[in-house]
This record gives sequence, structure tokens and C-alpha cells, in this order.
Amino acid sequence: MDSKHIERLLEKYWNCETSLEEEQQLRDYFRGGVPDTLKETADLFRYFEWQKEQKIANAGFDKEVKVRIAKSTPKGKNISMVINYARIAAGLLVVITATYFVRMEIRKAYPPEVVDTYSDPKLALEETKKALMMISKGLNKGQKEVEKIKVFHEAETTIQGKDLKEVEKKI
Amino acid sequence: MNYETFENRVLPVKNKLFRFAFRLLGSSEEAKDVVQEVMIKVWNGREQMATIENMEAWCMRITKNLSLDRLRSNQRRATDSLTEGFEIRQETLTPHERTEIHENMQRVNEMIAALPEKQRQVIHLRDVEGYSYNEICEILELDMNQVKVNLFRARTTVREKLVKINAYGL
Repeated sequence: MDSKHIERLLEKYWNCETSLEEEQQLRDYFRGGVPDTLKETADLFRYFEWQKEQKIANAGFDKEVKVRIAKSTPKGKNISMVINYARIAAGLLVVITATYFVRMEIRKAYPPEVVDTYSDPKLALEETKKALMMISKGLNKGQKEVEKIKVFHEAETTIQGKDLKEVEKKI
Repeated sequence: MNYETFENRVLPVKNKLFRFAFRLLGSSEEAKDVVQEVMIKVWNGREQMATIENMEAWCMRITKNLSLDRLRSNQRRATDSLTEGFEIRQETLTPHERTEIHENMQRVNEMIAALPEKQRQVIHLRDVEGYSYNEICEILELDMNQVKVNLFRARTTVREKLVKINAYGL
């Protein structure tokens, strides 16, 4: 590479106008032999290249990372599992409560119909008879009282004597 | 993301992360610790990884933040020497030449280590790692202007020092 081109590139480099490719050209150039005037500049670029070759000295680094990752993983997994179960449980709870309330509403809207209370017809007949007897007893009681009123009625008619015979005649 | 994806996509970035953390902390032990912490963080946050466009820049950003946290709690400057793991590739060099190169590298290293923190970060990301300006903005959470100003200042300082060495052999 001709030295004028390099000088131009270097000038651009110091002014921070070089592209990455041009900077690579400079590094490539300085890898070889250079004139004395550029000796120190060459050191700088060689330094950059040398630095890029530096590596983590520790050979077991990847393994160490793997071990540390394995240690830190299960904790996170457990937490996420617990969270997932909690989510499912919460969902079920919502569904169950919702169903309960919906059922309540439906029951209110449609009251239950009258249903048979006895499956055995004989028993049912007995019960019906009992109930009817209770009603007739009540009615008989009432009739007795009404008969008392009849007495008053008879008394009234004897007082009105004649009228009664006339009434009877008319009838 | 399963472990295989993590192994293929995240773990290989470790050396870049290490170099960056080392640049900030100046200690390879601490830099290694930081990189491990970054890996654990990335793994634990892997659910949100799908939304991240530039995974590498994201890792670099976490590295920067964790390193700076450490630096602040330690209250120390990263000016330690960078000689650990030093190795010269050309094997044909004489011992004298080797020491000379070693010294030169050490000198440049000190120059860069003496730069203010932001400038050090920017020059490292650009000239060592070869990131684009946009990526540097993303990693350092700075705007384009700040990145360019910091890079310009860093390069200018380094240039001035190089000129001095050339002129006076210092």
C-alpha cells in the first residue's frame, strides 16, 4: 500500500472520520514493517490487535457458568409452577362462584312446581281422608252455631204468629 | 431460550465481555467474576431475550454496568498492568526484540489506562473490538455526539503522547 494513502487514512483516523473498513486497513498495514517515522503509531495499532486476542484465562469457565445456572434454575421453575397452579385455582374458583350465583338467580325466577309428596297411593288416600275429615269437623262446628240462630228465627216467627201463617199460606 | 441456544449465542461472547470488563476493572479475576455474573443475568432474563435486537450489545451493556458498580464499590482506578497472559506471536524474534515489543505494548497500555473512563470505554469498543458508532451508543447509553467527542479526545491524547515519544524518545 502506498505511503501517501496510509498518511491520508491516518489523518482521517485521528479526526475520527475513518470507517470500520478503513481502520481495518490501517491495522493490516501496521502489522508489517513500517518506516521509522510511523514506529510509534504502529505500536498503537499492534496493541489494539494484540488486545483483541486476549481471552478469559480460565479454561473451566463454561462449566462454572453451567453449574451456576443449574443452581439458579430450579428456584425459578418452582416459583413459576406455583404461580401457574394458583392461576388455575383462581380460575376454577371464579367459575364455581359464578355457577352458584347463576343457579340462585334461576331458582328465584322459576319457583319449583308442586310435586307429589307420596309415592304409595294407599297412604295418599289415608292422608287425604284425614285432611277431609278435619275440614268436615270444622264445618260441623260451624253448623251447630248456625242452629242457635235458628232458635232466634223461630221465636221471631211465633211473635209474629199471624204473619207466619200468612207467609206459609203464600208459600 | 434453552441452554443450547445460550451456549451457542451467548457464551462465545465471553471473551469480548471479559476484555471490556478488564479494561474497566484492571483485574482479570474481577473481570472474570463480572462476566460470570453477566452470564447468570442473561440466563435469568432469557424470557425477554426475544425482544432484544442486538444481543451482543445488550451483554456488553450489562458488563459495563456491573463493572462500573464494582468499580464504585471498590473505589479503585483501573491502572494495573496488563502483562498477564502476555504472549508475542512472532517466534523468530530475538530476546532483545521481544523485550522491546513488550515495553512498547506496556507503554501504549499505560497511555490508554490513563485516559478518563468514558474515553477509555469508547476507544476500546471502537479500536479493539471494532464496533460501529451506533453499537457503541447502544452499549454505553450515550448519544452519537458524546461518543464521537469522547473518541476524538481519546485519539488526540494518544496521538500527542505518541508524537512526544517519537520526538524525545520518552
